[in-house]
Amino acid sequence: MASIEFVNVTKEFEKKEIIKDLNLRIEDGKFTVLVGPSGCGKTTLLRMIAGIGPQTSGSVLLNGKDISNIAPGKRGVAMVFQNYAIYPTMSVRENIEFGLKNNKVNKIERKKLVESISEAVGLSEYLGRKPSTLSGGQRQRVALARAMVKQPSVFLMDEPLSNLDAKLRAQMRIDLIELHKKLGTTFVYVTHDQVEAMSMADTIVLMNQGLIQQEAPPEEIYHEPNNIFVAQFIGTPPMNIGELGVDGVRFGFRPESVTASTEPVESPFTLQGEVTTREMLGSETLYQIRYKETSFMIKSLIDKFSVNQKIHIGVNSDKLYFFADDGDRIHKDHIHYRDYFEALRGY
Amino acid sequence: MKKYNIWLSLDYILKAAVLLSFVFPFIWMISTSLQTFEETIKIPPTIFPSSPQWINFVDAMSSGPFVTYAKNSVIITSSIIIIQFLVMIPAAYAFAKYDFAGKKILFGMVLIAFMMPGQVTFIPIYLMMADWGLIKTLVPQILPFMSNAFGIFLLRQYFMQIPEEIIEAARLDNASEFKIVWKIMTPMAKPALATIALFSFVSHWNDYFWPLVMTDTNEVRPLTLGIAMLKQSEGISNWHIIMAGNVVLVVPILIVYLLCSKHIVKAFVYSGIK
Amino acid sequence: MKNNKVWEILRPYVMIGPAMIGIFLFVIYPMIYLLYLSFFKYNLLNSAMSKYIGFSNYIQIFSREDFYKSLLNTVIYTGGVVTLTMLISLLIAVWLSKRTRMNYIVQAGIFTPHIISIVSVSLVWLWMMEPNLGFLNYVLESLGLPPSQWLQSSKTALFSIIIVSVWHGIGYYVLILVAALQGISPNIYEAAALDNTSKFRVFHRITLPLISPQMFFILIIMTIGSFKVFDTVRIMTGGGPNNATNTLVYYIYGFRTTNIGYAAATGVVLMAIIGILTIIYFWLLSRKVHYQ
Repeated sequence: MASIEFVNVTKEFEKKEIIKDLNLRIEDGKFTVLVGPSGCGKTTLLRMIAGIGPQTSGSVLLNGKDISNIAPGKRGVAMVFQNYAIYPTMSVRENIEFGLKNNKVNKIERKKLVESISEAVGLSEYLGRKPSTLSGGQRQRVALARAMVKQPSVFLMDEPLSNLDAKLRAQMRIDLIELHKKLGTTFVYVTHDQVEAMSMADTIVLMNQGLIQQEAPPEEIYHEPNNIFVAQFIGTPPMNIGELGVDGVRFGFRPESVTASTEPVESPFTLQGEVTTREMLGSETLYQIRYKETSFMIKSLIDKFSVNQKIHIGVNSDKLYFFADDGDRIHKDHIHYRDYFEALRGY
Repeated sequence: MKKYNIWLSLDYILKAAVLLSFVFPFIWMISTSLQTFEETIKIPPTIFPSSPQWINFVDAMSSGPFVTYAKNSVIITSSIIIIQFLVMIPAAYAFAKYDFAGKKILFGMVLIAFMMPGQVTFIPIYLMMADWGLIKTLVPQILPFMSNAFGIFLLRQYFMQIPEEIIEAARLDNASEFKIVWKIMTPMAKPALATIALFSFVSHWNDYFWPLVMTDTNEVRPLTLGIAMLKQSEGISNWHIIMAGNVVLVVPILIVYLLCSKHIVKAFVYSGIK
Repeated sequence: MKNNKVWEILRPYVMIGPAMIGIFLFVIYPMIYLLYLSFFKYNLLNSAMSKYIGFSNYIQIFSREDFYKSLLNTVIYTGGVVTLTMLISLLIAVWLSKRTRMNYIVQAGIFTPHIISIVSVSLVWLWMMEPNLGFLNYVLESLGLPPSQWLQSSKTALFSIIIVSVWHGIGYYVLILVAALQGISPNIYEAAALDNTSKFRVFHRITLPLISPQMFFILIIMTIGSFKVFDTVRIMTGGGPNNATNTLVYYIYGFRTTNIGYAAATGVVLMAIIGILTIIYFWLLSRKVHYQ
């Protein structure tokens, strides 16, 4: 069990600053997901915790203690890598055991640990096999078992599901949530996939270009985004954004918060547009609506609209967002909020 | 269709002829080694000896200290391979995975060593060895080969392809760098190491020039020199004895080659188009 | 903690240490030492009696006919081996490039001499080329052709050695060229066939340019290798007859005990030749990388 804290950390790669003066606290026992587009610095943070890519300046604290000078193997953290990084020449058992051997755990203890962990992840019958004979999902489990067996205080995971097929990924997400519940240790999970972040995280840390955009639970990130970047990163399809035409302010609404009808709808924001594309997803249907020079995506339970049909859409006031010209959110208590809201009526 | 068949069989016959021109000298060598002196001077030449003269091998081997030669060859070749491995693996790892000041210059020296043949450096090395009083030992035939530049080069390429993540995983598993090199990297580099060992074995087992210029006495000479000296000790006309000695030198390598020709061929191609 | 940091900086040097010591001791230092020796009249029995004589050894080298003779022999030998090997290996490689069992067996057969000691190869060919009893003359005579003196005539000796060297080494180059030919995407040939290109044109305009990197590799490796020819000469002819097969390394070898300073100076000349070839090699290599 451990909390992690970054204090004014900076990371340079070949004289280029990837992360600058970053401060972040990761709570003890929480499932924290670092999410963002590739190159945003999320993996860099993870590697700092592990000690395999130390920060250029600043400090990383584990339980309040600076671990900058402690070797990776002695930090009590375990990591699951994107490509699993299984030792290809060792059997499954040797892979799981390797860390224990290095930590001089005695033979009886080792055997007990390896067997109970491999039982837990369903690898018992594969212990003697070489990794090359295992499927992708099984390799993933080896990597997980190798991390678990060390009973670390922090679990680090670097896009561990990205090499699995969609079905297996969904299953593993559930397994990981359960694993976290069972172990109760700190999980730090890196992904570029917002679905993974939303479904597993206690806390999401959304990053872009080395800066933390927002740090909040999934619900808050979804409903109360700090800025346009967050609003558009979370949710598929992303939030619709339009120019308000006043002070460079932009407004936004999510495709799924739209009421659509062939009849005019009663809402603070309404418009009539033409359906240009239609994608049937199953329970919902995705439409692209053309209005003047812009297009909006809407997601609706109604699947009967057809292409070229003119329909009315409306968005309720609590589902409307405003952003200033620098991308930051304009909250309800902003002095001009009402003005912008009124401006939207005339859109 | 018929014409096509003729071409095809002509192609086969030609290929067989080419193959024969590369294999025949060995057949003739073995044949001669089993002939009597009278058979070797007959015209037309004998291909199938009337009764195999195994005594030729005894004669060849008793004409000099061949047990010593063979022992020297085995000691020299195996010591070189072992020492080269111990020296080469950490060096290749450091060149592949670490950044350090002067790396480029030091690696440039490896490349120079790769290109500079013993035919250039043998005089100074002989003088050094003589200075150190080592000429009467096997050291001059082993130590100069401790750094296999070709091996370092090849192994470094191989190590560079191994993903960094595996090393990081091992560091997180609290493995020392020493353990990472010997327990993880070395087993993973087995194919490259096999290639290098094979190369080293073939070139040092067969080497003639270096032992020739580094030795003054029979006690430290290897098999190649012993066989080459048969020409003098047996006189130029005793071809059956010379060929018998030659068979002793060739057959071990030939057997190894027949057993794993596929692997050897692959190894040589691999090193050629790195 | 501080020791750890120091160790981390030192570690790479410790790891390459033994290798670098070996390279320095047995390559770099001897090269310098060789240069040093070349300016001395060296006394093998008592090195303290050695005398600095400046460029005398070099002046002597370039005024001695036997040096030019051995240099010329080496150049002829190199030219012969390289040309013949290139032509024949290319021919055989194209011929054997299809992946069939027969082709694989022939390739393996051609390659066999390459892994055999040059001592054995030389002895077998010495016996094959024996003018009175050897197999080669028997074949020539039974075909109604005049026999040859092979290694025993100054006219044919060097050429005979060239034949043996080509025979010994060609299998390796065939393998490399076959691998290169098999590495060419069949799509390119299919495209050429759709364009109705003649076979010769395909070879000249497509195949040859695509395997040219390997051809360069072979050219340089073989040139460097040929310049240090020694074993065949020493076993088969002893430089004779009448110095007809005396090559550069054999020449150096001849002076290695009698006149070390002179031998060293000749070694420096060889070193310079190999150095220049190496620089050309790396220059070509870097250009090749540049194009990709």
